[in-house]
Order: sequence, then structure tokens, then C-alpha cells
Amino acid sequence: MKLFSSRFKQVVAILRKDFLIGMRQRATFAAMMMFALTATASLSLSTGGAFVEPKFLAALLWVVIFFAASAGIAGTFDDEATAGTLPTLKLYADAQAILFGKMIYVFLSLVALTIFILPIFLILFDEPTENFLLLFTTIFLGLIGLAAAGTLTAALTTSATVKGGLFPILLFPVTLPIFLPAISLTEISFTSAAFDMSSLIMIAAFDSILITASSILYDYL
Amino acid sequence: MITFDDVSLSFGRHELFKNISLELRGGKIIAVTGANGAGKSTFLKLAGKIIRPDSGEVKFPADKKIAVVAPEMKIYDNLTAIENLKFFAELRGKNLSAENILELGERVGLNLETFGNVRVENFSTGMRQRLKFAILLSVDADIWLLDEPTANLDDAGREKFFQAIQAAKFDKIILLATNDRAEVDICDEIIQLPF
Repeated sequence: MKLFSSRFKQVVAILRKDFLIGMRQRATFAAMMMFALTATASLSLSTGGAFVEPKFLAALLWVVIFFAASAGIAGTFDDEATAGTLPTLKLYADAQAILFGKMIYVFLSLVALTIFILPIFLILFDEPTENFLLLFTTIFLGLIGLAAAGTLTAALTTSATVKGGLFPILLFPVTLPIFLPAISLTEISFTSAAFDMSSLIMIAAFDSILITASSILYDYL
Repeated sequence: MITFDDVSLSFGRHELFKNISLELRGGKIIAVTGANGAGKSTFLKLAGKIIRPDSGEVKFPADKKIAVVAPEMKIYDNLTAIENLKFFAELRGKNLSAENILELGERVGLNLETFGNVRVENFSTGMRQRLKFAILLSVDADIWLLDEPTANLDDAGREKFFQAIQAAKFDKIILLATNDRAEVDICDEIIQLPF
């Protein structure tokens, strides 16, 4: 219990520190937001107001989230490694606290990204959403998986020399089992079609697997 | 006590340590000296289990906590001095009051009333070093690994550091990698590298 409490305090301290630095640097947030905005605007302009199939729109939304997230998550550990603070952090904090502090920070950054881009996306594509609850639940669960896989991948690629290109290549196959049901559920949320609960359960189950696997593997990095 | 049990470490073909067995006891300051490239910093990293030997084992009780002052151990430039102090203390389960913070600043000769809310990116190298000492003093570690700790300090800063380290040594294992005569003079024991 004491160990859990001490780790929890470390997670909170790391999360608070990352937010402080994130708010002061702003470059990472700005890169994520600008990528999402530019991609959404370009896609919207290219369709020229024509009708776009809900399935195609759902896929586009997740593509925008995935690549915008990639622009931000990749630096989760690399920024610290470049600044030389990662060895100090590893010395003073428990490895699991570092992982979960960073993972929660990434998740909250992705939530902020989605809050920013989702209304713009829906307005620009003039997409009437029929089931907001399903859309939000799908995005919430999808972002958890993306944050878990992204944080571990960011830790893995910290020492790589071509991390910019390597990060999305490694992240994509790991998150694919989340994206496929998430795209399908997002499409359903745009229409009034009935949905199968098993898809949501599948995303939640894969989230759990990713979080557990990240926790186990991080100790070996 | 830190125990080196038949420890060997090589970098490529260069064999830095071969079958080293020794015990480092607490209550004193141990200087680790030697020419450039003799392995002083590496010896400290081995002692703190920051790196692993190729063979053999370094042992110390699992509940012993380590603190390091070394050039490669950076602090956060985008945080203020007080935010850095509080952050590292929190990681070790300590909450620093405003009083604690000012006292730490005084012990290392850093005016935290004036500079406490200044971001570290605006600090000189010497001020950063003093802040690293304040962090070292705040985290309650049992093992201190100090790599050329006074290299960037002025005379007043060195004096403050020597006082702090002498006062703290009784319940700690302190390893100090240095070639500085004044630093060696405050040590109780010397390990000369290479072995």
C-alpha cells in the first residue's frame, strides 16, 4: 500500500511537471493542433462540400487524430533525453511512475487535441452526428489505447537515430486493432444504425492489454 | 555498505575494470581519483547501479536511496529553481515548505528569495550547480555520488559545499570523483584508479 501511495505521488508529480513544461514550451501542442487543423481543412476543401460517405469520414477523423498525435507523442521521452533530464528523472523516480505519469499526460494531451479538432471536423464536413454518446465513448477508449501504445513506442524510439520516421511506423500496427473497431463505431455514431456492444468491449480489452504490456515491457528498457 | 563482487567492465577492447572486489563503508567521504579516462565517473555509475557490469555484481541494500550530482544529470531548464526543488523532493516523498526551501538555498549559497521563481534556463552554470546541491540535500539519499561537484563553483560556493558534505557524511556513503586537490583534501579515504 505504501509503495502504491509513493508511486501515485510520483505519477502526480511527473504529470504536473510535464504540464508545466508543456504549457511553457507550447511547441508540441502547437504542432499537434496545427497538423490536425491543416489536414482537416485540406481534406474538407478537397471534397468541395460534396457528400462524403460516413465510413470514409470516420476513417479520415482517425487518420487525422493518429498523425496529429504522432507529431506530439514522439517527443514524450525524446525531449527529456535531448535536454539531458531523462537520466535524472530515472534516478529519482520509479520506472512505473515515469511510464504512467507520461501515459496520463499523453492521454490528456490527446483529449485536448480531440476537443479542439472534433467540432471543426464535424462543422467543416457538415456531418450530423446521431449518437454523441457513442462517438465520445469510442474516442475516449480509442485515445486510451493510442496513449498507452504511443508512450511505450516513444520510450522505445528514444535512442533511435531516425525516430521521426520510425515512430508512426512502429505505432501503426500496434494501434490497428483499436482503430478498426473505432472507425466502425465512429461511422455508426454518424448514422442512426444500431451498434454492437462487442466492438466497444473489444477496444476496452485491447486498451487493457496495451496498458499491461507497456507496464511489463517498460521495466526492460 | 556498497559491495563490489568480482566486477569487470570493458568498453570495446578497453578493459576498464577487471575482477574488482571491494567494500565501501558509510560515515566517510571517499575520493575516487585518477587520470582522465581512468574510469572515475564509470566507477560511480557502477557503485550506484546506474550501469551494469559485464560480469560480477554490485550490491547494496534495496532500501538505500541514491542521489547524484554529475555533469550529465541535468535539471529542468523550463522550471524555476523552486519548482525543480519541489519536484525532485516530491519524487522522494517529501513536501518542502517555503521555510525548507529558503533554508536549503542558504545552505548552498543560492538566494532563493530572489532567484527562486526564476527559470533555470536563466541561471549561470555555477547557480545551476548550487541548485543541484540543494536538490541533493533535499532528497534524503543514503548514497551520494558526486562527479567533480565543485568544478563550476566560485570559492564561496566551494566552501558551502565542503561544509554541507562534511556535516552530512556521518550517515551516508559519499563517493566523490575528482582530481581537484581541495576536494581530495576533505575526503577520508582515497581510491586511486586504475586499480
